[in-house]
Amino acid sequence: MTVEIPKEKWSGQVREVTIGATAEDGGTRTQTLTIGGETTLPFLHFEGNIPHRPALAIEIRDRKPDDWSPILMETWGEAMESPAAWAKAAEEAGADLIYLVLSLTTADGEENTPENVRRVVREVLDATGLPLAVAGPGQADIDNELIVPVAEEAEGERILLGICEEGNYRTIVAAALANNHLVQSKTPMDVNLSKQLVILISDMGIPLERIVMDPTTGALGYGIEYGYSVMERLRLAALQGDSMTQQPMLVNPGAEAWKVKESKVGEGVPESWGDWQNRALEWEALTASSLVQSGADILILRHPETLKRVKAMIDALLATAA
Amino acid sequence: MALSGLEIYKLLPQTNCKDCDFPTCLAFAMKLAAKQVELKDCPHISDEAAEKLESASAPPIRLIKLHGEDGTVEVGNETVLYRHEKTFFHKPGLFLHVRDDEDLEALKAKVAEADAFSVDYVGIDLYLDGFAVEAVSGNAENFKKTVAAVIAGSKKPLILIAPEPDLAKAGLEATEGSRPLLYAANAENWEAMADIAKNADVPLVVHAENLDDMADLTKKLQDKGLEDLVLDPAAGGYLQSLHTFTTLRRLAVKSNFRPLGFPIISFPGAQDGADESLLTAQHIAKYGGFIVIENFEPAILYPLLVLRQNIYTDPQKPIQVKPGIYEINNPTDESPLLVTTNFSITYFAIANEVESAGWPGWLLVTDAEGMSVLTAWAAGKFDAERIAKDAKLFGAGEKVKHKKIILPGHVSVLSGELEEELPGWEVMVGPREAVDIGSYLKTVWQA
Amino acid sequence: MATHKVKLLPEEKSVEVPTGTLITEAAISAGLEITQPCGGQGRCGRCAVKVEEGVVRKRSTIRLNADDLESGWALACQSLIEGDAVISIPEQERIERRLVTEQTARAIELPFDYIPAETQSIQTRQLSLNPPTLDDSQDDLARLQGALQELGYHPVEISLLLLQRIGPVLRESDWKPHVLLDAPTPGSGPARLIEIGASPFHPHGVALDIGTTTVTAYLVDLISGKVKASAAEYNGQIARGEDVISRIIYAGKGNGLSELGTLVRETIQIVLEKLQRRTGVPPDEIFKVTVAGNTTMIHLFLRLPPETIRLTPYIPAVNHPPRFLASDLDLPFHPLASVDCLPGIASYVGADISAGVLASGLSENDALTLFIDVGTNGEIVLGNRDWMLTCACSAGPAFEGAGVVDGMRATQGAIEEVWVHSDTFEPTYRVIGGEKPRGICGSGLISLLSELFVTGVIDRAGSVKLDLDTSRVRQGDHGPEYVVAWADESDTKRDIVLTKVDVDNLMRAKAAIYAGFSVLADSIGVDLADVQQVLVGGAFGKYINIENAINIGLLPDLPWDRFHFLGNTAALGTYMGLLSNELRMQIRDIANRMTYMELSADNSFYDAFTAALFLPHTNIAHFPSVAKIWGDEVDNKKEEK
Repeated sequence: MTVEIPKEKWSGQVREVTIGATAEDGGTRTQTLTIGGETTLPFLHFEGNIPHRPALAIEIRDRKPDDWSPILMETWGEAMESPAAWAKAAEEAGADLIYLVLSLTTADGEENTPENVRRVVREVLDATGLPLAVAGPGQADIDNELIVPVAEEAEGERILLGICEEGNYRTIVAAALANNHLVQSKTPMDVNLSKQLVILISDMGIPLERIVMDPTTGALGYGIEYGYSVMERLRLAALQGDSMTQQPMLVNPGAEAWKVKESKVGEGVPESWGDWQNRALEWEALTASSLVQSGADILILRHPETLKRVKAMIDALLATAA
Repeated sequence: MALSGLEIYKLLPQTNCKDCDFPTCLAFAMKLAAKQVELKDCPHISDEAAEKLESASAPPIRLIKLHGEDGTVEVGNETVLYRHEKTFFHKPGLFLHVRDDEDLEALKAKVAEADAFSVDYVGIDLYLDGFAVEAVSGNAENFKKTVAAVIAGSKKPLILIAPEPDLAKAGLEATEGSRPLLYAANAENWEAMADIAKNADVPLVVHAENLDDMADLTKKLQDKGLEDLVLDPAAGGYLQSLHTFTTLRRLAVKSNFRPLGFPIISFPGAQDGADESLLTAQHIAKYGGFIVIENFEPAILYPLLVLRQNIYTDPQKPIQVKPGIYEINNPTDESPLLVTTNFSITYFAIANEVESAGWPGWLLVTDAEGMSVLTAWAAGKFDAERIAKDAKLFGAGEKVKHKKIILPGHVSVLSGELEEELPGWEVMVGPREAVDIGSYLKTVWQA
Repeated sequence: MATHKVKLLPEEKSVEVPTGTLITEAAISAGLEITQPCGGQGRCGRCAVKVEEGVVRKRSTIRLNADDLESGWALACQSLIEGDAVISIPEQERIERRLVTEQTARAIELPFDYIPAETQSIQTRQLSLNPPTLDDSQDDLARLQGALQELGYHPVEISLLLLQRIGPVLRESDWKPHVLLDAPTPGSGPARLIEIGASPFHPHGVALDIGTTTVTAYLVDLISGKVKASAAEYNGQIARGEDVISRIIYAGKGNGLSELGTLVRETIQIVLEKLQRRTGVPPDEIFKVTVAGNTTMIHLFLRLPPETIRLTPYIPAVNHPPRFLASDLDLPFHPLASVDCLPGIASYVGADISAGVLASGLSENDALTLFIDVGTNGEIVLGNRDWMLTCACSAGPAFEGAGVVDGMRATQGAIEEVWVHSDTFEPTYRVIGGEKPRGICGSGLISLLSELFVTGVIDRAGSVKLDLDTSRVRQGDHGPEYVVAWADESDTKRDIVLTKVDVDNLMRAKAAIYAGFSVLADSIGVDLADVQQVLVGGAFGKYINIENAINIGLLPDLPWDRFHFLGNTAALGTYMGLLSNELRMQIRDIANRMTYMELSADNSFYDAFTAALFLPHTNIAHFPSVAKIWGDEVDNKKEEK
């Protein structure tokens, strides 16, 4: 019996977005990152194209964080003392993109300043040739205050600026427009809200080729299924030709997975949770790998081992010998 | 192809007789379209209509049930490709692979440990579903003894991996009284295996290297009267299994292709170059049915079981946040305590507003069955009694020492009752809209 | 428990109340009234009073600003007496007595050829009895029943009240009495005697629509079938809560249920007095009353505890009430008049919708029809003669002007339509009555929102763009706002504004209604674009501009000729049910056939709601005509740059 393999005829395509600019394009990056362009669901090569691999970013901070898991502290060790060293270590670990998150305060507890973040961004740009993304600490006023100087400092580098949210996007988008950068648009696990923010941002005049959409996801065990399905729905809508859902998707499994009890806590937990180190790494890897399956184009990770494992999986999923 | 509620309605008697316990034929039709009721609940349907509806409502993937001496596993009956379209109904079974060439005592210990494994996840007990026992020794007696040893250590359902008919028979002798899954019939042995499976009334795995051969085999087996089949498409690593399993699910659900409308068995740990836990995770998300794993390791099994639970959660239910007291911006015992419901969007709105306004605070999220503040209040799910109960349950009194609690402005009406329910607490009424929280706290909170 | 002395100004009344008494309660015990439109939930801010001396504990101070608080203002329904106090109650807002329904009262046409003998249950007959003799010694009742039976009325129920009068009436009429019967099968069959007399009766009936906001009545001549007069009055329950949920809650407190029952009776009394003034027909000559209303209104009217309506699984005490006698319900009609409450469908889709569907003709039409009745709640019916699906969406009263800072009902002084200049952003508006504006009514809000959107004053999420080059946009007390009228042109001497919060409220209301459409259509598997006619009932519908309503995504983007505004369909359907037994049966059938969908049951409503919470909608493809205007507008702007 000949079984006919069902193939979907998708009419839409995910937009191609390029982060980073080489000297040729007015920047100083040694490599750029292009994502998106898919014309089918993740890795279904038999019915469409997957022109670019999902990218893996490593999250670094402008200073050594106070509240990260000791497992992560141990892994990065000395490198965490300077953003430049950390960025280099991330590059060596195989990252495609450096995702720099600014802190509310400096290491000595002072308020973070535009001068400080300019310096940090400059150091990171000098330390690595990888493309860069920079996000504020997550408080509207302070984000705006810090992201604008970052955008200026990195002018021409086509960095990804975050994080645009429904209540606070105009300043960041304006900074991206003025300095030729891209923006990350983040909405809380809802298909419509994702679309709406993309519309609002693009209404400000920034080309859609410069918007990366972060649909938000929970960690494994903490709402991953909602993010997973929102991503699937967004991707299906994109492939069906719904223009405002055709942005590449960025998710942050690293931050989500490393803030849950299962990865944070080693003692006083049920024995059936198993070995802490292994469990913590599994938590990040499973969160990330599941989101690769639901269509992520950029995944932000924290542990180099996770990056290695997820990268191997993506390699296998892209190996189209046939 | 599934029929819409309206299409089904047109085939029903349209008498609104209520014998199905629904108020109208249309209500019944919509439930039937959603596969939430069965056709037989309508006693008045014509034979002709029944025939048309049967084919539209029969599940595209056969439900396969295994049971051990204790415990059952049901896999199949799936109706959609993506969980948001309805839900994924039956979680894939996770089975631990053991072999009859292992030291019997060591095997018994391993089975006992894996059998006893259980972990609590939000009040749900998660555990391994059973064991897949493989005859690698080639010795029927030996296999039988091993199966018996596994049964002695666990009452969970089994998969018997016995490529030869005589081995299969031996294994089944040891499992009398339960219903294991028999692995596997192939192009060579299918007739003998079919007889054995039929005699023992157990489901049978069909192994074939490609889907054409697979469909030929299932056809032959169905002709021999076997209905309970499971497919082993011999799909290798990440990519091949993704393509093959996706194709099988599409064939069943979208093309209604009956010869391949059965659950899939897979062996993610046996694939060269694949990370067992990541491939298992892929099979959980992407259409696996029975998943045989090689390693028993709680630190890996726990997250996999959680993933399976998450993926198989009903997405039609409102998105809820776990009730509890949440910390925002590292609060102290002097930070404000706000209360809201566990509807995720409501929670996000409040939490984001407090967070981005830079306030350290505590957020008491009460169990309002996933409704927003006003809806929950209107429906009686967010009242003083419930708020007080959760405030006590989650230890609000230990988190803050000021004994003040801030109610959403929309339910200011509850303030009096809440003061009665929480003696010694001062109930404050916050703003009605989340966006005003920052300025509200600025004016009223001086901690 | 300690008690405190409270003096209330300007009446100078003093009462002694225990610690923890609400100011509103103190006022009631002093025999004074403080209006509580939100039912005492501390939501509306209209019960503000001024504490002149002493201290009260304020649980909530919503809608009061820092200056107000400084000068002693407090919400009466949220503030507790905890010591002696002197409190001023400002002059209470009087509800405008000029009603929309009356403004536009127009001749109501007979909806069909009316032949009372065939369709009317109220029958008048003159009987001819053989006078008794020594040989024919049947008693009076048997004689009367015999005569009625000859006309086909058997059995006939006769109350003691009438039995007491039969003897004299029969003789006074010389054995040719006039009778008035209530015969479920017109012309014959079992019947109930309502009146008997020596002179002929001219029967009248009343079609009564008890709305959450307005009570409307038609006085109907049951011989001609014509409406002799109509009258309306704001439902007196409004002061105890503006929406059904607030009233349900109020009914659960103390003797709230009985109070609400009394308030609606007082309103009915006022309506009947108006009708009597206009027609000379006194209430006790009304022999038949047909009543429609949403399920909560019917419960409160019958004094049935409504609590279960709002709690899952949302089960009312009754959907199909039996008939009652006016005297049982303590109503001022003829004591033996039958009071017939029309059947409802579910807790949030009531008899007003069953009657409305009849009046709209949806249930007899082949065309795929969308019927909406937007009042204080929004109810939707989708279907045709073969099937009907219905749902309710809690749109809230934003389109009636409630929950909007400068919102008001459609009365004198309300801005009813606005135009905004696309370059200067300056508005032009029209005011009801042509005087200075006092606020904005529902149609004005819809038109304003549409104009602000089309001209780009607000973005698609409804946020006011503060960076525009005009003083009309600014940061106000409630966030960003747009000034529609400056203080010097308004009647209130204050700027009339539309705030971001108002916009959010309006967006939620319109999104709830549109989401109702989408969920009904999706769940049955039809496309909204295939809807052949949209019938809009309710007072709301009459004044809105279709184009504006489509622009903001309140109504689906269909060709304008598919929209029809039907006015008060509930009252019209009730009138039809009053006239005709057959149509009354049809209303029952409609109620039975309609399939109710509970929107809170799953996620699909929420999804549709967030999709609709955008201008005009997240999926602009559903609004091709808006995409066109809006797209052109955007392109023009680009060219200018």
